[in-house]
Amino acid sequence: MVAGGAAAGLFGALLGLGGGILIVPLLTLGFGLSVREAVGVSLVCVIVTSSAAASVYLERHVANLRLGMTLELFTAIGAFAGGLIAFLVEERVVAGLFTALLVYTAWSMARPRSVPADDPVVAGDALEHGSFRASLNGADYVVRRLPAGIVGSLGAGVVAALLGVGGGLVKVPVMHLFMGVPLRVATATSNLMIGITATAGAVVYLARGGIDPYVAGPTAIGVFLGAALGSRAAHRIDVRTLRLLFVLVLGYTAIQMGRRVIGV
Amino acid sequence: MGDLERSVGRLLSLGTAVSVGLLAVGVGLMLLAGQSPLDPSYPPLDLARLPADLVGGRPGGFLWLGLVAAMATPAARVVASLIGYLQAREWGMVAIALAVLGVIGASIVVGGALEG
Repeated sequence: MVAGGAAAGLFGALLGLGGGILIVPLLTLGFGLSVREAVGVSLVCVIVTSSAAASVYLERHVANLRLGMTLELFTAIGAFAGGLIAFLVEERVVAGLFTALLVYTAWSMARPRSVPADDPVVAGDALEHGSFRASLNGADYVVRRLPAGIVGSLGAGVVAALLGVGGGLVKVPVMHLFMGVPLRVATATSNLMIGITATAGAVVYLARGGIDPYVAGPTAIGVFLGAALGSRAAHRIDVRTLRLLFVLVLGYTAIQMGRRVIGV
Repeated sequence: MGDLERSVGRLLSLGTAVSVGLLAVGVGLMLLAGQSPLDPSYPPLDLARLPADLVGGRPGGFLWLGLVAAMATPAARVVASLIGYLQAREWGMVAIALAVLGVIGASIVVGGALEG
């Protein structure tokens, strides 16, 4: 379990994903846990990795704390709702949604990464100084379309708590493509937001007895060690090969989860 | 606000170290006790029993405290930010921080009410 968690953390760190996308299949397909139990454990794991990564991003001034806190209010509301929904819908529905997420993730990692952000807007161009909106801007960019970010954050929060993932697959494109936030800042800010998002969902799982400490402990330790190793090894590894391998792993996992959903 | 970001970053580092340390001790005690992670009868979180479990060196106590510390770390980050924004009189961010803590509080209250 520690080794499996370490593999999930390692892959996640090398490819810029939370480990949740692999932790849930690992625990359900590998160790026979229910999807709901696996999601509860996965949420705890992504909190640990988010806190570790966000501390570095904040000290290096890469993450935008004001923007992150503003959007995480809405990811937390979404996660609160997602945590409640998770106990209302059938397990097979959650597994089906997770399978769809695996397919989407594999597709988004396989396609060429050439989508440009909107025209950059430099700070000082658009909004009046001293306003709350203006306070969210970075040193060299203006945050735009805050309502789109709020809607995207709500959706990301629901997905995160329902499926036990960080939700970066939703938040990063929304911040980068719609709100004009540079990709590096969007990734770091998304990571910062994961902690509160996952906590809002995890607390619901915890209160309903959905977190097994004997599973969560070893898995979280493994994910933490794997993520730490991955962040140090990232520059030495051919990420294109790794990305291809990851797409294959996700595809295989999606097939196995899909078979479980339809009972084959 | 650069100082606030550094302070919040350090707080997150500390919270991570504490939670991972407690979880590591819990996992070590699990190994020593021959406790399988897949044992279906795991101990529920009982805050009143936690001190006795810790003193008694039971793995469940350390694991639960580590998990609670992990979940408390992001909330502590919001509290630290709230204090920083209060000192800077950034009322918009103060309101946001309070609202985030309100959502976490609501999760605890509603989740607890639905327990079982």
